[in-house]
Amino acid sequence: MDLAILYVKKFYKIIRGEVLVLPSRISVGLFFLVLIGLPLITRDPYIIRIIILTSIFAILAASWDLLSGFTGQMNFGHALFFGVGAYASALLNVHAHIPPWGSVPLGALAAVMAGLIVGIPCLRLKHTYLALTTLAFPIILLGIIFALPDWTGGELGISGLTRFTSSLLGNYYLHIITMLVLCTIMWKITDSNTGLIFHAIREDELAVKTAGINTTRYKLLAFCLSGFFAGIAGGLYAHYMRIAGPSTLEVSMSFTVVIWAIFGGAATIYGPVAAVFILFPLLEFVRFWPEYRTLIFAFIVLFTLLYMPEGLIPWVRDKIEKECPRCKIRNVSTRKTCRICTAGLD
Amino acid sequence: MAEILLKVESLTKRFGGLRAVNDVSFCMQQKEVLGLIGPNGAGKTTLLRLLTGILKPDSGSVIFKGTELVGLKTWNIVNRGVACTFQNMRPFRRLPIIANVMVYCLSPRSMHRGEWVKKVEDKAMDALEFAGISDMALEKASVLSQGDLKRLEIARAVATDPELLLLDEPFGGLSPAETDLMAKSIHRLHKGGRFGRLHSEGPAMIIVEHKLQQLMKIVDRIIVLNFGTILAEGTPEEVVKNPQVIEAYLGKEGD
Repeated sequence: MDLAILYVKKFYKIIRGEVLVLPSRISVGLFFLVLIGLPLITRDPYIIRIIILTSIFAILAASWDLLSGFTGQMNFGHALFFGVGAYASALLNVHAHIPPWGSVPLGALAAVMAGLIVGIPCLRLKHTYLALTTLAFPIILLGIIFALPDWTGGELGISGLTRFTSSLLGNYYLHIITMLVLCTIMWKITDSNTGLIFHAIREDELAVKTAGINTTRYKLLAFCLSGFFAGIAGGLYAHYMRIAGPSTLEVSMSFTVVIWAIFGGAATIYGPVAAVFILFPLLEFVRFWPEYRTLIFAFIVLFTLLYMPEGLIPWVRDKIEKECPRCKIRNVSTRKTCRICTAGLD
Repeated sequence: MAEILLKVESLTKRFGGLRAVNDVSFCMQQKEVLGLIGPNGAGKTTLLRLLTGILKPDSGSVIFKGTELVGLKTWNIVNRGVACTFQNMRPFRRLPIIANVMVYCLSPRSMHRGEWVKKVEDKAMDALEFAGISDMALEKASVLSQGDLKRLEIARAVATDPELLLLDEPFGGLSPAETDLMAKSIHRLHKGGRFGRLHSEGPAMIIVEHKLQQLMKIVDRIIVLNFGTILAEGTPEEVVKNPQVIEAYLGKEGD
C-alpha cells in the first residue's frame, strides 16, 4: 500500500513539474482526458460517430503535415494515400476475407508502395511543379478504378466491409486510441534526428546534400511514412463506413486536408490535429444549414489565415506562452521570470 | 614528397557558349593549403562546385585519394571527406543555430568518425565553440550577422571532419577584425588536433578569396584563374610578381 502511495506521489510530482507548468501541455492532457472520458458524459451515437470520423481525419491531416509541412514536399494529392489505403483494405477484406486487424495494416503497406511510386518521379520536382504532379496521381487512380468496375465497383465503390467490432464503445475507443498513438508517434518522429533532417530539407536541400546526407533517401522516407499513416486512416475509414468509394480519392478530399493542416498551423503535427477537431465537428453541427455550410467554412479559414498566417494553434500558443530570451524555454505568459534560468522575460 | 590527395585533370564545364572552367588541371598534396584567385567570373566558384559534385563537368576527371569523384552524388563525395562552404551562406534560417550544425553531424561520415560521442548535440556544440558562436547556439539562424554566418559555415565544415575543405570566400563581407579572427580559426583548423569532443587531422584546403593580403599569410601555393583557365601557379611571392597576373587584375600599364 505504501509503495502504491509512493508511486502515486512520484507520478503527481512528474505531472506537476512537467505538465502543469505550461498551458499548452495542460490542454493536450485535457484533450486526452476528455476524449477518453467522453462516453461517461454522452453515448449519443451521432456524437460518437462524429468523433470517430474526426479522429480518422486527424490522422490524415497530421500525415500530410509530416510530408508537406515538415519536409516541404508540397503534396496536393494526399487523397491518393487515403484512397489506396481504403481500397486496398476493402479489396483484402471483401475478396480475400481478411479481418480488419489484418487488412488495415496491409492497406497501409499498399499506401507505402503508393508513396514510393509517387515519390520516385517526384524527387526531381520542387514547389509548384511538385504540387501539380502530385495532384494528378489520385485522378489517375480514380480513372483506373472506373475502368475496372468488376474489381472496384466503379462509381459505387466496394461495400459490405466488416467492422472491427459491432459495439459503439469498442469502435470509439479503438479509433481514438489509434489516433492518439499514431499522432504521438508522428510527433516523436518530427522531434527526432530524422525530423531534424526533414526540417533542414525543407529549408535548403542543397545545404543538406553538402552535409553528406542522402536527401533522396530521406525524401522517399517522408513519402513512405506519410503514406503509411494516411493509409491507416484510409483503412480505418473504409472499415468504419463499411464502404470504400471514389469519394476517398476526390480532389476536394486532397484540398480539405491541406486546408485543415494550414489552418491549424503547418509543421507542428498538433496544429492539424487540433484543426480537424475544430473544423470537422463545426461543419457537422451546421448541417441544418446546408446551403451556407461551405461558405461558413471558407470564411472561417480565410479570416483565420488573414490574421494568423502561421496558423491558429501557433498563434494561440504565442499568446499564452512566452519564450525565455536566454534559454529558449517556454513559460506561461503571466510569469515575470523564466522558470528554469530565472532570467527576466520580455 | 607527400602523398597526392587530389588530382584534377583537364576539367571542363560549359554554360551554353561560355567556358566557365576550361581544361583545368592541378594536383594537391595532403595538408596543403591552396589559394584560388582570379577576377570576377573567372570560374573559381564553378570549379569548387565541380569538385563537390553540385555541378557535373562536361569532361575531365577529379581523383580524390585514388577514387574518381566525377559522377558521384554530392552527399557521397562529402562522405568521402570533401567539405565545402558556400559563398552566399545557406543556413537553415528557421532552425536554431545548433540544429544547423547538428544536421551536419548526422551524416554517416561524421557519425562514424566520433562514434564514442553519443550525443549529436555535444558534437555540434563543440563545432560552434570552435567557430566562436556557441553563446548564440539557441538563437534562430535568421538573427545572425554576415560575419557570424561565415563562422557558422566554418562550424558546419568542422562538424563533417573533412580531409579536403573547400572554402568559398571565407572573408567576404567581413570587417578587418573579423577577417583576422576568421584567418586565425582557419589556421587553427589546418593545424589540426582536438576541439573538445571533435577531432581534426588538419585538412587540406582550397580557399577562394579576393582579400589577397590575408590569403597570402595562410596559403602555401596559389593558382590564378582567368576566363576559366589557369593563368599562373606558384608560391604567393611568385604569383604577385607575375606580370600576367598583374595585368589580369589591374589592367595593362599605360591603358
